[in-house]
Parts: sequence; structure tokens; C-alpha cells
Amino acid sequence: MSKVCTLSEAVSKYVKNGDHIVIGGFTTNRKPYAAVYEILRQGLTDFVGEGGPAGGDWDLLIGEHRVKAYNNCYTANSGVTNVSRRFRDFFEKGILNMEDYSQDAIMLMLHAASLGLPFLPVKLMLGTDLTAKWGISKEVRKTIDKIPNDKFIYMDNPFKPGDKVVALPVPEIDVALIHVQKASPDGTCSIEGDEFHDVDIAIASKRCIVTCEELVSNEEIRKDPSKNSIFCACVDAVVHTPYGAHPSQCYNYYDYDNDFLKVYDVASKTQEDFEAFCKEWIYDVKDQYAYLDKLGASRLIKLKVVPGLGYAVDMTKEAK
Amino acid sequence: MTDYSNYTNKEMQAVTIAKQIKNGQVVIVGTGLPLIGASVAKRVFAPQCNIIVESGLMDCSPIEVPHSVGDCRFMAHCGVQWPNIRFVGFETNEWLHNTDRLIAFIGGAQIDAYGNVNSTSIGDYNHPKTRFTGSGGANGIATYSNTVIMMQHEKRRFMEKIDYVTSAGWMDGPGGRERAGLPGNRGPLMVVTDRGTMKFDEKTKRMYLAGYYPSSSPEDVIENTGFDIDVSKAVLLEAPDPQVIRMIREEIDPGQVFIKVPVGEKK
Repeated sequence: MSKVCTLSEAVSKYVKNGDHIVIGGFTTNRKPYAAVYEILRQGLTDFVGEGGPAGGDWDLLIGEHRVKAYNNCYTANSGVTNVSRRFRDFFEKGILNMEDYSQDAIMLMLHAASLGLPFLPVKLMLGTDLTAKWGISKEVRKTIDKIPNDKFIYMDNPFKPGDKVVALPVPEIDVALIHVQKASPDGTCSIEGDEFHDVDIAIASKRCIVTCEELVSNEEIRKDPSKNSIFCACVDAVVHTPYGAHPSQCYNYYDYDNDFLKVYDVASKTQEDFEAFCKEWIYDVKDQYAYLDKLGASRLIKLKVVPGLGYAVDMTKEAK
Repeated sequence: MTDYSNYTNKEMQAVTIAKQIKNGQVVIVGTGLPLIGASVAKRVFAPQCNIIVESGLMDCSPIEVPHSVGDCRFMAHCGVQWPNIRFVGFETNEWLHNTDRLIAFIGGAQIDAYGNVNSTSIGDYNHPKTRFTGSGGANGIATYSNTVIMMQHEKRRFMEKIDYVTSAGWMDGPGGRERAGLPGNRGPLMVVTDRGTMKFDEKTKRMYLAGYYPSSSPEDVIENTGFDIDVSKAVLLEAPDPQVIRMIREEIDPGQVFIKVPVGEKK
């Protein structure tokens, strides 16, 4: 059965207001930006989100007021924007419900979800304000669906009395958004480079949308199963989306678009300029192909990585 | 001939970091100065060390300086591409097996006399004056690894009481980590700043000045530290070898992504 559809169809069918969403990738690497843009275009909102190592993906959703509650561990376009600016502004102004966890805690929570575990005991966050202080109070938690009533609960290791551990809730994920290098119509995915938490969230989510650089046949992707990491049955929609991670990186395909990230850095300094950026690059752009046309062919070609180096560089300017 | 004796405090800091790394150690770095320092170590002082990053990329030897720990610049030049959870598992098992190989570099906005670090926010946590990214991997690293903490040495950053503890140091002194349920045989070893190196007293676990740079002095450190600091054991640290400075400027960070070359020396 083919799960291939347009991004517009995938988002309208599988993403709903109020969903608990997790996005794959790592800060400025393999972030499914095209899928995030389409969610914004369709006006979907009230999301509960797991940031993981987040960047502009969650900053866009936060800045466009689509986030009801956000579990944060790190939100920045590293190397360009030290702290994502809408994320920072909204939290400083008190208009973002946000909880802080250690990054390792969130990644283990997503892994625990993929394993189907009931809760997760860790020794992370002990002795720090990550346990002493709560970003979302118990009272507020009771008013928001899809977040547990407790950030965590202290408990004794049942096998080692006196050994204090932090019991973390395991997220119940509605939707996962993932960008991969290759997928086939039945949903089988091949991720090149680090998988990050993407395989975990594909298994743990009720619905999973995959965007891919290349759509290959079901036969072709099975020629070397050692390269495949997501089982077709975990995936609901497969969308052929070249440069679907732009402006972030996609291993073996393209580098981050630093100039674009810098434009976003400046634009996101104020809500007004941020909204103008969204209008120009998201709302006034019909779809991913119109977005690529707007970026232009030469710009995209210059982002292609040099095989062997793994990043884009103008070799004429390299030392002889 | 280009002059490489005019080192900056940042370069001194990077070389100081490099000298902490020993052969056989597994070194956790982020980007920025620690990566530059670890790259120097790998080339000069400890070629047999392994560099790892919290995204799960293990045994990294990047050619171009990466912007993020998930950067393809790390990913294309490493031994193994693990997801983060395997990194956490490895780090935790290093502690469970009681090996002594891990050394980690973390940074922060504020630090107290016991090496507790804030990288979350300034002011009240729920209504902050300034909000930062949050923990990233730092909390987990400070839980299970011995750390070297990188800081800008300013009074407003070296505080008696910091606004938020993101990463645990020696907590409130001897036994503090054990009381909190943290591994007691792990913790901060050293603080490296643009003015010198601080260590922690074995008995009190309080920070003291261990070394200062030719460009600083014990008085300068006292003046820029917001808590009482013992400087009686401080020694003057050697200026870096110009050959190492050349390596940083010409080979490791030629694009000056993290270390700016002093004005007048720019290519």
C-alpha cells in the first residue's frame, strides 16, 4: 500500500489541534522544516511539544502562538543564534508554558516511550533546580490535557533502598515529524548519519509523517536492509520533499544555509519582524516547490556537501 | 614572519584546556573553546584521547570547526554515530564500572564557590530577566563525569549564590553530592577562565585560585570574583608555545569561528 501523498494532505489528515508533537533532528541538523511550515500554513495550533535538542523548528511554532505547553532542554540554532529568540522572548514575557528537563532526560523519555515503558527512573537532575523548580505548576498542569500532573516524582530505587531516583513520566505522543534521506512508498525509511531520536519517535507516536529527500521503490530500499532504520508499519504518510530540512543540514545531501539562518536570527529579534519573515517565507509561499523556487537553484546547489568532507565548501577557495 | 607570541586570553584558555587532557582519556566537549582546546590536545599533548559529543557522535576528529554537537562536521569524521541515548548509557556505565577515563568540559553563565553552574536563566526562574537555552547535555554530564568548567571571569558570574543550578558541582560542600543522591566520586575538577585556573579544596570543596596567566594576577582574580577566594596556592602559568598558537590560528580555527586573532594580525 502506498502512503505517498502531498505534504498538505499529510498534515491535514494526520495533525490535529491540541496534538502532542515531537519533531526529529538535532538543532540545525535534519529538522523537518517543510513539515513545520505546512503546519503553520494550515493554522493548526494548541500543541503540546517535546523540544529535545530544538532550534528554529520550535521557535517558529512558539512565535506563531501554536504552543500550549513545551518541554524544553535546549532551544537554539547553535552557531548562529545562541538562544532562540521567540522562545526566549515568550518565556521572559510569561506567555509560554514551559518545563525544563535535562536533554538526556528528554531523550531517555522518548526512548522509554518507544519501548513502551510505564515510567522512567533516572539519577539525572538530582540536586539541581531542574528538580527543585517547576516551570509549569501543578495547578496549571491540571488544566492542560496531555501533560502529566507532575513534572517528576522522587522515589527510592526498589532494589537498592536508600538510593534516590527521579521517576519521569513517559510521553504519549500523537504525532512525529521526521525528515529522512530515503523512504519508499510503504513507509520504510533509511536514515543516513546519526538517527538522533527519530527512530524512537517513529515507534512511539500514534501518527508519523515522514518527509524524504528521495522517494525510492519498495524493492530498491530492501536491497540493503542494513541501511534501513524505520519499519514501514510505523509510518502513516510519506512525502517526497527535496530540501525538506532546509535551512538545517541533511547528512550526505546538503549543509545548513547559514545566510538563511542569519536572516532568521535578525528577523526573530522582534515579533513584528518575525511575523514579516513568516509571511514572506511561509504564508505567502504555496508549498515546498514554491519555497525552493524562491530560494533559487544556485543557492541550493551551493549547499550541497562535498563528499568526503561532509559539508559544503567552495573548493576554489581552499588552500592548494 | 607572522608573530605567534602575541597570544590572546582566549588562546591561553584554549591551551590551558588542552593541557588538562591526558592520553587514554575520553573527552566530552561541546563546540567553542573546549573543542579548540581538545583539538590542540589531540594534536600536541594527548594524541591518544577520544573526543565525544553529547549528540552521540563518538571519537570525533572534525576538519572544519562544527557549529553544533549534531553538526555534519562532527558526523562525517567520527568513529561511531550513536543516538544520544547510547552516549548517556556509555557515560553512566563509565561511572558504574568505576573507570576514571571521562573528562568533560561544560560552560555556563554563573558559577558559585562549589562549582555549581547555571546555564538556564538570570533572575527569578519563572519570570527571568534573561533566559538561556537550558541544560542541553550539561546536567547529565555534571551528574556522571568529572568536569572542567569554562567561564568568563567576571564578578557578576562568580557569585556566592547563583540564580539557578542547572548542573551540580560539589553542591554545598563535603558530602553534598551524596546527600542529593548524586555520584559522590564525580564532580568539578577545575574552572578555566580568561584570568586563570581554579581548583577545589579537597577538604572544603571550595574553589581556590590554582594558576594565573601572565596577563592576570591574584589581585585581578580577587577583584573579579564575587565570593572569597583563596589565592595563597596560586602559581604563574607558562605562556603558550608560539607553535601551538600558530596551529590554532592556521589549522584548527582558521575561519576564526571561536577564537579571534588580535587586531593587526588578521590575514
